[in-house]
Amino acid sequence: MLYDRQTNPPPPAEDSRPFDLLRVPLVGNLLRRRHARTVLQIPLFVVAALMILHGFFGPQLAPKNLATTLSWVHFRGALVLALLLAGNFFCMACPFMLPRNLARRFVTPRRNWPRALRNKWLALALFVGVLFAYELFDLWGSPLWTAWLVVAYFAGALLIDGLFKHASFCKFVCPLGQFNFVASTVSPLEVKARDLNVCEGCRTKDCIRGRRERPESPVVIQRGCELALFQPRKTGNLDCTFCLDCVQACPHDNVGIVSRLPAEELLTDKMRSGVGILSKRRDLSALAVVFTFGALLNAFGMVSPVYALEGWLARALRLNHEAPVLGLVFALFLVVEPLLLLGAAAWVSTRWGGLRGGVLQAVVRYSYALVPMGFGVWLAHYGFHFLTGLLTFIPVAQSAAAGAGWPVLGEPLWRLTGLPERVVYPLELGFLGLGLLGSLLLTYRLAVEDEARRRGLVFATWAALCVALWVSGFWLMSQPMEMRGTFLGN
Amino acid sequence: MTFGRESSLARGSLVVAAVACACALFGVACRLTEPTPDFLVRLDVSPSPPRVGPATVSLKLIDFLASKPVSGARVTLEGNMTHAGMTPVFAEAKEFEPGGYRATLDFTMAGDWVVLVHAALPDGRKLERTLDVKGVRAD
Repeated sequence: MLYDRQTNPPPPAEDSRPFDLLRVPLVGNLLRRRHARTVLQIPLFVVAALMILHGFFGPQLAPKNLATTLSWVHFRGALVLALLLAGNFFCMACPFMLPRNLARRFVTPRRNWPRALRNKWLALALFVGVLFAYELFDLWGSPLWTAWLVVAYFAGALLIDGLFKHASFCKFVCPLGQFNFVASTVSPLEVKARDLNVCEGCRTKDCIRGRRERPESPVVIQRGCELALFQPRKTGNLDCTFCLDCVQACPHDNVGIVSRLPAEELLTDKMRSGVGILSKRRDLSALAVVFTFGALLNAFGMVSPVYALEGWLARALRLNHEAPVLGLVFALFLVVEPLLLLGAAAWVSTRWGGLRGGVLQAVVRYSYALVPMGFGVWLAHYGFHFLTGLLTFIPVAQSAAAGAGWPVLGEPLWRLTGLPERVVYPLELGFLGLGLLGSLLLTYRLAVEDEARRRGLVFATWAALCVALWVSGFWLMSQPMEMRGTFLGN
Repeated sequence: MTFGRESSLARGSLVVAAVACACALFGVACRLTEPTPDFLVRLDVSPSPPRVGPATVSLKLIDFLASKPVSGARVTLEGNMTHAGMTPVFAEAKEFEPGGYRATLDFTMAGDWVVLVHAALPDGRKLERTLDVKGVRAD
């Protein structure tokens, strides 16, 4: 048999196979089981239910409530660390999908998601909306609003996927899911067909169509990918929730969770199943930009200069409500700043660097290279809260149990916290450095692959942008953190 | 058939929404049923405005009904930031004048703090109050 290196590579030798989590004894066996996802979802569902109850009925002081402590300290930190070290396992164990899957046993949605909304613009707006609400309503300090946010996620998933076919909520709506999709492009694991030659010979395409009782039967006994990712043409982690439906459906046991070079998928510009071509997806590019600059904005909300800026804006514009001031800050950091910086870099690249295509084309193509830097900032920020408050869930859980009249966990150990800030700070700098390195490597590879007339200048231009973002992140992480939600009230 | 299934989904959604609303209303109602304030607790922090580091926290405990200061109480303070995951700080206050109690509380981070006052009164009653200390400065 002849092998074309591009389209039909030879099967890898036994010892050159990538690491495959599904082949690891015990873990692989557990994940390959049909109800593995449900087993992972149930504990998170129970935790989410406890958070909602405590958010509504528990003490309304954030450090003493499970809703705020678990959401804003532990969940976010564990999420980014799992994305860094493994992959999109939080989408896999997503508790919002549990009632939705249960409802799907009784209700079969008939409608298709509207064609005009089959992109990331709505999800992007919701992502910005969540970041905005987080600052405006001080969600980090409000157990009640945090509980409502969790309820809104459950209700949204149930309603959207109750009305529309497939995984419309995950693919087109869920703001958290979009964060995970973008961040998982830098993860080391990917759900992928093990051997494309096996896919070539496959006639049933169960990984996308679902497995049926008989080939001609309309009854699906194991669903295929609900996010329209056809394994042989799937590239990377974008839009993949790690639900493992494809693993269950494949009759050839040919789908694994395999290792790969993190972030390399951001260089690939071929047609991807269910996603399309990255350089033609302006919505995905905008998502990558908001992901990156939103990381800096979210961290900026934690340090004292933000209050100076907000106070100055409020005085200058004679405003005494936070919402318009915050709106201006968001517009400045998520629209004006990216437009200026990316526009300038793209203009220099095309005008003087000889990069082919227009300015907008260059912005879209190179915006994906900023994702590692953005992820580095999210990691540094959320990692800080997670590591410095690592053990705080213990006294909060003890207190919640005692408050519910069930003091089996003992007296709350309020002095339990986490790692000291002086230990966490070098880790934050390490995360930022990793992000910068990743973004620099991507911009270099893009500049080389694009064969610009002056590729050195193209690389230097985008590298300067990456370094500017790193300097911003470094400055933010070096500021004394400040927890305040009442700048106008003061 | 489709219509019937979607009707049951709508009914289910309504039930979920109704339960969520009931939860929220019950939660709000629970918070509204705090005990009537028989005591006035006034808190002063020095330096003012407060800064990161040790701060002197002075409390004045007054029996509202009898219009007299409360002496001989055992008063402890617990400082928490408004964000979860931060280390709480604790201190025991000493009485320095009739009804006046003073403690040193170490504000470890800039931002908004909440001070929980726990007092065991001489007649055995317990008093708890939550007081805001906003805008602790970094320098």
